[in-house]
Amino acid sequence: MKKKKLFKPQKLFNIAITYLIILAVCFVFLFPILWLVLASFSKTGSIYSFKGFFPTEYSFDSFVRLFTDTQMYNYPKWFANTLFISIMSAFIGTALTILTAYCMSRFRFKSRKAMMKTTLVLGMFPSFMTMTAVYLMMTQFNLINQQWGLILIYSAGAPMGYLTQKGFFDTIPSSIDEAARIDGASNFKIFLKITLPLAAPMIVYTLLSSFVWPWSDFILPQLLLKNKDLWTVAVGLMTLPTDEFSRFAAGAVFIAVPIVIFYFALSKFLISGLSAGAVKQ
Amino acid sequence: MSNNVSVNVKEKKANPFVSLGNKIASFFKNLPSTLNKKLAGAKEIVTQGNGKVCASMCIMGLGQLMYKQWAKGIIYLLCQVAFLAYFVLKGASDFIGFFTLGTTESNAWVGIEGDNSVIMMLMGLLSIVAIIFYIVIYIANIKDCYSIQCSVDTLKEPKPFKKEVGALLNQKFYKTALALPIVGVCVFSILPIVFMIIIAFTNYGGDIVPPKLIDWVGLDNFARILTLGQFAPTFFKIFGWNILWAVLSTAINYFAGLALALLLNKKIVKGKTLWRMFPILAYAVPGFITLLAFKYMFSYGGPINQMITEAGGTAIGFLDIDAGWTAKLIGLFANAWLNIPSSMLLATGILSNMNTDLYEAARVDGASPFKQFVKITLPYVLFATMPVLISQFISNFNNFGIFYFLRGAMYMDGYFLASDSDLLINWLYNMSINNNYYSIGAAISIIIFIITSVISLSVYVLSPSYKSEETYQ
Repeated sequence: MKKKKLFKPQKLFNIAITYLIILAVCFVFLFPILWLVLASFSKTGSIYSFKGFFPTEYSFDSFVRLFTDTQMYNYPKWFANTLFISIMSAFIGTALTILTAYCMSRFRFKSRKAMMKTTLVLGMFPSFMTMTAVYLMMTQFNLINQQWGLILIYSAGAPMGYLTQKGFFDTIPSSIDEAARIDGASNFKIFLKITLPLAAPMIVYTLLSSFVWPWSDFILPQLLLKNKDLWTVAVGLMTLPTDEFSRFAAGAVFIAVPIVIFYFALSKFLISGLSAGAVKQ
Repeated sequence: MSNNVSVNVKEKKANPFVSLGNKIASFFKNLPSTLNKKLAGAKEIVTQGNGKVCASMCIMGLGQLMYKQWAKGIIYLLCQVAFLAYFVLKGASDFIGFFTLGTTESNAWVGIEGDNSVIMMLMGLLSIVAIIFYIVIYIANIKDCYSIQCSVDTLKEPKPFKKEVGALLNQKFYKTALALPIVGVCVFSILPIVFMIIIAFTNYGGDIVPPKLIDWVGLDNFARILTLGQFAPTFFKIFGWNILWAVLSTAINYFAGLALALLLNKKIVKGKTLWRMFPILAYAVPGFITLLAFKYMFSYGGPINQMITEAGGTAIGFLDIDAGWTAKLIGLFANAWLNIPSSMLLATGILSNMNTDLYEAARVDGASPFKQFVKITLPYVLFATMPVLISQFISNFNNFGIFYFLRGAMYMDGYFLASDSDLLINWLYNMSINNNYYSIGAAISIIIFIITSVISLSVYVLSPSYKSEETYQ
């Protein structure tokens, strides 16, 4: 191998180019977000009053107006709706997902393989494709303009993404179960007293990730909630006109911040979850 | 040999198509033997079963009662009674209604309350589910009675009822635990798909909505989409753009993500975690917020047009109805911005699993960095991510959000209820949700599904991951 000198011109050039590209890329990713955040602190509100990209004066007015001026755009109400739908879906969906993953990981039964393949194939249908049918069905079941209709759809769809959780249960050694079984515990008891406490981090992850979907979804609420007072934040923000730009920015920042914090806190899980179905082993 | 193949199939777990294809093939291959086995089982019960089993065949639970299995017998008996009551009172007419879809049209003048075809369709579907459910219970009942007979014949005590219920929390805990998720998936994932497929074969939509009667029309909707003047030109124009969009956006997102991952993986880069935070930040912001932000950015009053007007130019309608390619390029850019971070994270994960000995060897042999990339990195990453690449292709093919948020529902001349940047999924939305063309929309859904599955299946079959599976194992 060649000996490396510390400041070889060619290497210096290489470093400079690399950092230049990295800085450019980071700028591209940061810029729209920075733009939104700064716009949310603008004083005037309309996008037309900006000089170029950024507002000329800054204040907290948009945030104050967001929560006080609710005549036309009832953001607090939208926010409460979103929170209710997301929390309910997260709890029900997590319970169903954990149960499914546990069974798929610990039991070997006749239809197991068939069920796993069915969920994979069902996943190939983009959920959006059946929206006509979902819409018609919900009309017939009288679940249009009902927040529970949305919660049902979100939580019933959650168990389809059980693979990450199943992978986690696979890593809990089954010798623990065996020991408890010899002591006479039933499978139900083992699940409650041993598996669930061990799976606490996974449960937290599942809770949060099934919280995010309803939190930032717009298709289903847009389809099923026609009444303005039932809207979620996503639907509400879509209807804001151009001269309410800083209100939009403030509302967007307000709902994006919790998710961003969650993503950074869980970025480790995130990467393994992304590649769980992908990496061949 | 065949054993070997099936082992390989198992390892290719991530692709549903291949496993589905294999499943179908093996299903047909094994069909005769499975059928034989089932038939033999049925024959055994019929020939060996005693009078009490016959009693169970006639009236569910009777045989169990004759064996003094009271609780079980009564439950089966109740099932029978309940089903018969349902079928006589409602099920039979629902079942027939599924095929006729209503015979009397409502007439407000004469005061006739007519049939509602959509409700009849749904109820008919439910009656079919009920019939299937009943048959399953009926077979379970006969099998159960026969197993009691067997254990009595061999002088064993039949299992007490209490124990069998207890098993639901122990050996058969999975049955209890999976009941709710399965019902949920059936009602909210499978039922809509079935319902959509059914609607595609009716004339539901347009003027024909309840109280008018809906009818079965066979393949008419598909024929109309592919041949009729109103739909066909729009369909083929949108289809062409949709394919181009899916290929371009998938390639851009994938290779840019890979490039970014490689760039941040370079040895000379310090503070990798810090740099990675920027794409993750972009990934974490909900997609609809970013898309609306881009829409504002390119709008007439937006910052870009402001700078243009200040420099003395005239404002450009980047996303206007006649914008043509600028709108499409903005769409590609916005989609890349949204999706490059996730493909970067994925590539980073895969690169960290990679064996670095190969590079060492390549360097000794004098291969240039570019050659190393083409000959070592790319094949490995492509190989490992092929299933993800296909699912990204499908989600790009059906990327509803991009043009819905950037442009909204625009109807252009030369297109039927669509604009030039709309994908099939946007067209489907415009048609069925905004304009009530339900049956045509359902037919488009099925066509989309067929197209995506054919494309991704053939890509997968042609890919290196399929051709040479052992390369990296």
